[in-house]
Amino acid sequence: MSSTSGVQPTKGYLMEMQRRIVFIERGTEFLKLKRDHLAKELSESIEVLRGRRRLLLESLGEAYKAVQAAYLSLGPTEVESQADSIRSTLDIDLLPKSIMGVQYPYIKILRRPKVEGELDITLSYASDKVFSILEEIIRLAEFESRVERIADELGRTNRKVNALENTVIPDMKAIIKFIQDKLDEEQMEDLVRIKLIGGALASEK
Amino acid sequence: MTYAVVRSHALIADLLTSNQMRSIAAADSLEEFMTQLSQTPYGQISLEPDINPSISLERVFYRKFIERIVKIVDIVPSKIGDLLQTYYYMRFETLNLDRIIRGKFSEATPAEIQANLVPMMPFRAPSYPSLSEAADIDSLLELLKGTVYNAVAEKLPAYKQYDAIWPLQLELQHLYSITILNTVEKLPRDQRRMISKIVELEADIENFLMAVKQSRSQKDAEVKPEEMFDATYGIPKETLHLVVDGADLRESVESLGEPYSAILAPIYEGDVALIRTNLRSQIYQTVNQARAGNDFGFNPIMAYLVFSELEKDDLVGVAWAKEQGLQGEEFLKYLVVPNVT
Repeated sequence: MSSTSGVQPTKGYLMEMQRRIVFIERGTEFLKLKRDHLAKELSESIEVLRGRRRLLLESLGEAYKAVQAAYLSLGPTEVESQADSIRSTLDIDLLPKSIMGVQYPYIKILRRPKVEGELDITLSYASDKVFSILEEIIRLAEFESRVERIADELGRTNRKVNALENTVIPDMKAIIKFIQDKLDEEQMEDLVRIKLIGGALASEK
Repeated sequence: MTYAVVRSHALIADLLTSNQMRSIAAADSLEEFMTQLSQTPYGQISLEPDINPSISLERVFYRKFIERIVKIVDIVPSKIGDLLQTYYYMRFETLNLDRIIRGKFSEATPAEIQANLVPMMPFRAPSYPSLSEAADIDSLLELLKGTVYNAVAEKLPAYKQYDAIWPLQLELQHLYSITILNTVEKLPRDQRRMISKIVELEADIENFLMAVKQSRSQKDAEVKPEEMFDATYGIPKETLHLVVDGADLRESVESLGEPYSAILAPIYEGDVALIRTNLRSQIYQTVNQARAGNDFGFNPIMAYLVFSELEKDDLVGVAWAKEQGLQGEEFLKYLVVPNVT
């Protein structure tokens, strides 16, 4: 179906369309700016994310080795028994944060796990390592979620810009041209009609 | 006694060899581990339902080990039998009491506490269910009054002062060492040496680890080092006090000489678990050396039980590692039997 089907070729409609296309073109420019900004933010964040992930994986590897050593040294029952002495667990709250209109979760740590009983030194080393990276794991999860949301928003903005640039604006331009042509045609017809009437009146005199 | 010695020699031959343990440790999965184990004197093992497989296997290995102790105790003279029962049952009971005290301190439920106990009947303590159902640590210590563990109950003021259970844990260890050393006194001199050496070495290493742990902890109540170590043997109290006060670990360890410096060396890299493996390897060597001196008296009997315990500990580690999908070389350094020549 043509974009001009059902269009009323009136001057009022033409003026409305011209007002709209200015507004849409300005919006498209803003969206392009947003897209570029999001793309820049995303590429920078991905670099940071890679670095932080690598560091965390190293720390996790060390922590897991320490836990592994504790299990092999003490046996699973003893480790479970000592782990049961950690009564206060991790308590968090999820709050919304926003960057360029993109919302992402911010994790607020309300309470950290605390070892209330006495741990064997092997497990104490392991728990120190795990607790030391706990906050980093949370911050990284938060950052990953932020990057994912930015990437989603970038995709959405890109699609919007493409749709506006390739479909909406050309269609509106076509409509405007169509109306302008129609109005020009009508103006010509009126002119011819006036000329004909004028000629007829002159010949009658 | 002769029968017990001959029987011990035969039973030692039935234990898993270094190569067998290596092959078991190289199993691809827990199922393969159990299949390989079924071809050894352990036979077919069935796991308890609704329990983590590695914990279920740990219980199986404990039961098997206790069966072995019972077999030996039944055929040795009563003095040696008393010593062996005290040495092993009291060790496991100390472990159970430690777990009950820890459970009470962290307000675990009686069911949670009992799920983590070594599967055995009480030896010198009141029944484990009654202890684990005590309202708090005060009531628990009250139940221990008048038993062999009375000295632990008397540590209540220290527990309250520091708001920590280490005074109770240290007293349990101390009590265990003292009881064994007193029981050993009843044996002839040549039979005492090996067991005293093992008990003293274990107590020394645990004291040192406790000192390192105290130096790392940030407790509000300041701990007085002189109140910490009631019994020390090869590691002087002064060294332990210096370690608690944060002295240089390398300097402290090197000053101890062999075998302590070799056993404790992994502390430099923070691999505390390897210290316990080194300790167990040292115990293996001590027993082997004693057998080399005299392989016809008490030594092979004790050697059988020591080797059995090392085998149990290694199998517990391997079972957990297989459940986690770890491959051989990653955890082999924490085992003793595969690394002995």
